[in-house]
Amino acid sequence: MSEHDHDHARTVAPMVDEITDFEVLEIALRELCIEKGLFTAEDHRRFTEFAEHIGPTPAAHMVARAWLDPEYKKLVLADAIAASREVGVDWLEPTGFGTPSDFTALHVLEDTPTLHHVIVCALCSCYPRPILGNSPEWYRTPNYRRRLVRWPRQVLAEFGLYLPEDVAIRVEDSNQKHRFMVMPVRPKGTEDWDEDQLAAILTRDCLIGVALPKVGVTTNAITDTRPAIHPVQH
Amino acid sequence: MTTPRDRVSHLDLMARLKSAFTDLPDAPSPDLIDHERFTAYVKTPHDVGGEPDAPIKFENKQYEAWEESTYVLCEVLGWRGIWHTEERRRIGNVDVGRTIYLGLPYYGRWVLAAARILVEKHHITLGELTDRLVEVKRRYEGGLEGKTWQAKPKFEGDGSRVTRNLHHTHAVGKGDPQVFAGQAGQPKFQVGDTVLVRELPALFYTRTPEYVRGATGEIATVAYESLGPEDEAWDRHDQTPEWFYIVRFNLSQLWHGYTGTGTDTLQTEIPQRWLEALT
Repeated sequence: MSEHDHDHARTVAPMVDEITDFEVLEIALRELCIEKGLFTAEDHRRFTEFAEHIGPTPAAHMVARAWLDPEYKKLVLADAIAASREVGVDWLEPTGFGTPSDFTALHVLEDTPTLHHVIVCALCSCYPRPILGNSPEWYRTPNYRRRLVRWPRQVLAEFGLYLPEDVAIRVEDSNQKHRFMVMPVRPKGTEDWDEDQLAAILTRDCLIGVALPKVGVTTNAITDTRPAIHPVQH
Repeated sequence: MTTPRDRVSHLDLMARLKSAFTDLPDAPSPDLIDHERFTAYVKTPHDVGGEPDAPIKFENKQYEAWEESTYVLCEVLGWRGIWHTEERRRIGNVDVGRTIYLGLPYYGRWVLAAARILVEKHHITLGELTDRLVEVKRRYEGGLEGKTWQAKPKFEGDGSRVTRNLHHTHAVGKGDPQVFAGQAGQPKFQVGDTVLVRELPALFYTRTPEYVRGATGEIATVAYESLGPEDEAWDRHDQTPEWFYIVRFNLSQLWHGYTGTGTDTLQTEIPQRWLEALT
């Protein structure tokens, strides 16, 4: 057996379904936190409920509505936190001061026919969770974070996005408290569409900037998914 | 019980785990460490931007149940004032060291960060954690057999005497960074100003990436006031907030051998202490 085969074999789940080291750690810590009064089981349940309801839908509607309504677009670009409320996202939820790790400052980056934005967090994986849901695994990889800030055209090509020379790329490295998302250019062929139709082609990957919205395309550029050993049940 | 053979084979595995320059011995004598190597060894391991790497297959990952509960655990600790997110980011992304940083899954570092903050802030002892780890593991001896695991706290503790930070009450109704508004005086820079990113020693923690240090950029946005990450990462709310700026860099000037166009740019957010005026 070659070295490579041997390493690969280690990623296959064992025959006995053992609890993992990470699961043991998480359970032990949660129990101790509750017993010490650091937080309550109800706090944990409430935050879980919040975390399970976030996703990219409000972000897609924000951009779709901005495409249709110039006044709303001005608000999105000037005060994206206020504009978020109009698509049902209050950035101060669920704690009264927001989700601690996402902060409460959002910028929406407007693409033009000659400027394309793409987001990354080269230091960790800062991402606008309250309006876009959890970041995809690839967004958190050191690989994406290392390369996007230096070889953006090559990395975008790996997502199937080939940008011509007359489109400048602007990489937004989201490294402090601001969170960012992209407002792509509205594609041709959508002139008489309503907000729901437009939102359907504004996939998560379009809002990160690794894909462009296209008529007829309602799935992300990256669809392959590694299965969990013990997935979330809900 | 481990056999002598088990112990040897685990040490053999450890010996293959490298996170050091292979042309230097372990714990080299001082004459072998120059400034470049010193800087490389103390570089905060989360700062990976611009490091060369080969393409990989980008894919999604279904959420493990423990990943979601770990995320929630860490956020609830922030909600209830046990830590500020910047403390979590320091402990889980930097203090863990390069080997764990690159070796464990993303949320694996979050769960380790939570364990460490509880011990370091005296909320639990390491002995209590060890005992509970043993106890939880024992509950599932022989495998899960289709069961899902559960946290089973023995009781709900009285939290009234727990030491909590100021932030979790001060920021309510305002948000973060809004809670710091009006505390940093006049911003030193305006939109359009040319700035140089200072080359400060970055021991222990920073959020100013190495790849822009010493580079020239232009202020794109005067962003907000906040404590600097170098202070907030240790909950130093006694320090003075400062202005943050989104700074724009031309990629073809930032990177030697840049292969894109001369108009490609990059923006990143930098606190005032890291910037100086360039006229």
